[in-house]
Amino acid sequence: MNSSGYKIFKFVFLAFWASFVVAPFLWALTTSFKTINGVTSGATYIPWVDYEPSLDGWRNVLGSGSQGINVVEPFISSVYVTIGASALSLVLGTFVAYGLSRFKYRAGFIRNGDITFFFISQRIMPPVVLSIPFFLMLQQLGLLDSIFGLILVYIALLMPIAVWVMVDFFNNIPKEIDEMAMLDGCSPLQTFLRVILPNAKPGLVVAGLFCVIFGWNDFFFAFTLTFTETQLLPVAIVSLNSSATPWWSLSASALISIAPLIFVAVLVEKYLDRGNLAGAVK
Amino acid sequence: MASIDLKNIAHSYDPTAEDPVFALQPFNLHWEDGGTYALLGPSGCGKSTMLNIMSGLLTPSHGQLLVDNKDVTHLPTTQRNIAQVFQFPVIYQSKTIYENLAFPLRCIKMNKHDIDRRVKEVADLLNLTNILSKSANSVSADTKQLISVGRGLVRENVSAILMDEPLTVIDPQLKFELRRKLKEISARYGHTLIYVTHDQNEAMTLADQVVVMDKGQIMQMGSPEELFENPSHMHVGYFIGSPAMNFMNCRLNEQGIHIDDHFVPMELDGIADSAALNMGVRPEYVSFSDTPVANSVPAEIVEVQNLGKYAIATAKFGNQKVKARLSGKSKLPSGKTNLVLHKEHMRLYVDGHLYSAS
Amino acid sequence: MSIVAENINLTVDGEAYLRNVSFELPNEDFFIIVGRTKAGKTTLLRLLAGLEEIDSGRLTLDGNDLTKMPPWERKVGMVYQQFINYPHLNNFENIAFPLRRAGLPEDKIAEAVNKVASVLGVEEFLEKLPSELSGGQQQRIALARALVKDSKLLILDEPLVNLDYKLREQLREEFKNIFNDQRERLVIYSTTEPAEAMELNGTVIVMHEGEIIQIGAAEEVYNRPANTRVAEVFNDPPMNLVRGVVEGNRIHFNQDVIMALPDHLQTLAAGRYTFGIRAADINLQPNAYASEVQLGEINGSETILHIKLGDISLVTEQEGVHQYDLGASASVDFDLDQLYIFDNNGDLLFSPAANSSVEKAMQDQEKDN
Repeated sequence: MNSSGYKIFKFVFLAFWASFVVAPFLWALTTSFKTINGVTSGATYIPWVDYEPSLDGWRNVLGSGSQGINVVEPFISSVYVTIGASALSLVLGTFVAYGLSRFKYRAGFIRNGDITFFFISQRIMPPVVLSIPFFLMLQQLGLLDSIFGLILVYIALLMPIAVWVMVDFFNNIPKEIDEMAMLDGCSPLQTFLRVILPNAKPGLVVAGLFCVIFGWNDFFFAFTLTFTETQLLPVAIVSLNSSATPWWSLSASALISIAPLIFVAVLVEKYLDRGNLAGAVK
Repeated sequence: MASIDLKNIAHSYDPTAEDPVFALQPFNLHWEDGGTYALLGPSGCGKSTMLNIMSGLLTPSHGQLLVDNKDVTHLPTTQRNIAQVFQFPVIYQSKTIYENLAFPLRCIKMNKHDIDRRVKEVADLLNLTNILSKSANSVSADTKQLISVGRGLVRENVSAILMDEPLTVIDPQLKFELRRKLKEISARYGHTLIYVTHDQNEAMTLADQVVVMDKGQIMQMGSPEELFENPSHMHVGYFIGSPAMNFMNCRLNEQGIHIDDHFVPMELDGIADSAALNMGVRPEYVSFSDTPVANSVPAEIVEVQNLGKYAIATAKFGNQKVKARLSGKSKLPSGKTNLVLHKEHMRLYVDGHLYSAS
Repeated sequence: MSIVAENINLTVDGEAYLRNVSFELPNEDFFIIVGRTKAGKTTLLRLLAGLEEIDSGRLTLDGNDLTKMPPWERKVGMVYQQFINYPHLNNFENIAFPLRRAGLPEDKIAEAVNKVASVLGVEEFLEKLPSELSGGQQQRIALARALVKDSKLLILDEPLVNLDYKLREQLREEFKNIFNDQRERLVIYSTTEPAEAMELNGTVIVMHEGEIIQIGAAEEVYNRPANTRVAEVFNDPPMNLVRGVVEGNRIHFNQDVIMALPDHLQTLAAGRYTFGIRAADINLQPNAYASEVQLGEINGSETILHIKLGDISLVTEQEGVHQYDLGASASVDFDLDQLYIFDNNGDLLFSPAANSSVEKAMQDQEKDN
């Protein structure tokens, strides 16, 4: 009796929690199909019954609408910046992580652990601290308001994540495997590329995923470092906000901005499912 | 201080399957109160499965487990009063050694005074008294293992101690010390001690009775001497003894056994014509003679290995290869000689099982 | 092939693992390093492989200076205690890996891999991954990879220690055939068990606390241990060492154990010595010296008794099964024909092996003094 009461409680709790999580998406979804009447007339959720559905919201953001801005270009810019920065961060970060995992560095009293912490500490800092320095640097380089400039800045932000995840991952691969590769004739670089990397796929997936998520969702630097030429999606969405906010367009653009991440998450989950993330080393 | 009975125990990880694969074949076993036992077998033979069933980490798919005639099959581990020591030291690294030993007692809410007494008693037994205040992380691997053992002993009503290859991490030189301590403990407290290992030396030196297992089956249970003298199964003959028992395939006729050209008169009946016959004899019971004597067969020495305190000579006759274990001080044979197979130590195996005249 | 080391110092994390080690290995091709754990065996092997950086000193192989040569140039094969294989490659690729690095053509690779796989009995597993094999099989794959290379040096660091007892016996047998494959290479094997060293029958290097204390043929080291440390390390159970006195034609172990000096030791000068006697040479004899049994261990065909004679602790090994309870009394005697004598520095003075003479030993000692 204890058991079934507990089961009911679990189910109710989880159902409640699930609805709590899903509700905002549901709201956004229904709102994106409303018109101004539908929005102001209160909280309604069922199309054709409670309100008149309309594709206005979507039309505005995807085509050229009267209320709302076209988000297709910011979307593409975001894609470029996120993919570019994540890829480069992953490559650089993985190299750094391998070095920190396998070799002993020393500069005065600074050791490996300190260097790793230095990287991680970048994420602890409030972004506002970096805003002015980055602004000035990009200005000097003439890279303000450009995709390339943003990619550079994002690398500085995302590489610590890659380092953080990969150092831990490499530390879990026994050093004896490196040694075996070296005895088999591989230089340290060949060891890294031919032996360690193939075994690091799970770690790379996780690090890559984190980089993509943080990169895609960043608002602050996208905001401070761009004006007219380049615009990233989060900024574009926010710019919709005004005294007469077109909620339907806003909802539609919010959903568009989430879509890629959901897509990536589904892909990664398939990869997870295949047990590829299980420990590869005995 | 309890007897343990395993009645019709068998374990399959998928018991509902049509043809279930058994990790442990059905068996009955009785562990006498206060005895020291060893479970001996190669990796994957099921010995750890059996241990986990006894301690409660695993519920058997079939059968009953009785401790002191009380059915504990479905009782959780905490209620069985069984302590288990694992292969690798399981200790709380951040606590002191005292705290590690006291932990199980704190969990059962013993009063402080009694806890102190018990911890000091066990520490004294294991020579840990001087380092009780040290952090458990700071000591060597073998001391850590001692702490693990100590934690298993500290509860007063522990009826049995199960040990899963506990000396694996210990330095060979220190194994003797630990074995001695374990024997002292079991002698003093009368715990039933069950010890799992793949090392026959450890099993034979520590236990009064050894259970030899292979592929989920119990091959034989007996004293080290019995297992040595009368292995009931060829596998036991192979697994016990270094080098393993010699097996020579042979043929049967009315008067006895033919091993190639060598004839051994024996009274035999009830053996099927199609049975596979092997004659087993331990290398310790094989010797050499310059001249032919009773029970000898002409043979040629193929190899002699001098290992210091003993030597192993391999001799060949017909299609048979036989190893002999000789004392290091005896004269080492060479070339053509006569191999003496002492009849009273020969054992006939029919389809792998020891033949006994009924 | 010769290996020469000069004044090698190696410190790891502040701890001196090898202290001013110099040696010259004789021109043999099979060495076995015997020593307790932490004796320095693994460090020495890693040194030869190039996996540890030498602080100071020089290492040469056949005249080539190896000191600064990185491991990927050294042509060394190594087998670890913990079976190390590349987890992302199947077994065939695992074995083929060094050959691919060396750029061998595909058909030569297949030929070499299949050949060594059949020698080690793993042909049927070549398509599988290492993680799908048992411990013993994984170690065979690691060994196959070490053998398939055209290496000058093959290093095995206690390769059997993580395997089941019976599997070890089996593999040792196989090793003897595997290492005789007619290639010109130096094989160095390390173990803690002297019995393994004797079974494999190579040139033994005895190590203790970071130092090499004796090099010689296995039988020679067994019969003539250079000093008490070798006598302890190279015997299982360790040789019993008793500090005693020779006085008035008698050997005194302690006030209770006094024995007449045997004939072959008559010329032994009076004084303090350390006497060594193996466990197998202390026998159970009625009406001899009474000892207290501290622990009896029965092995099926042998009994090992840990006994105490007054303040002397000894280990004795007997054929057959003898039951003794803890604390019981056992009467033992010593086989003085097998007595070893070490001087006060621990160096061997006299060994009971053939061709030893006490006179010569005494003369040599006087010369040293």
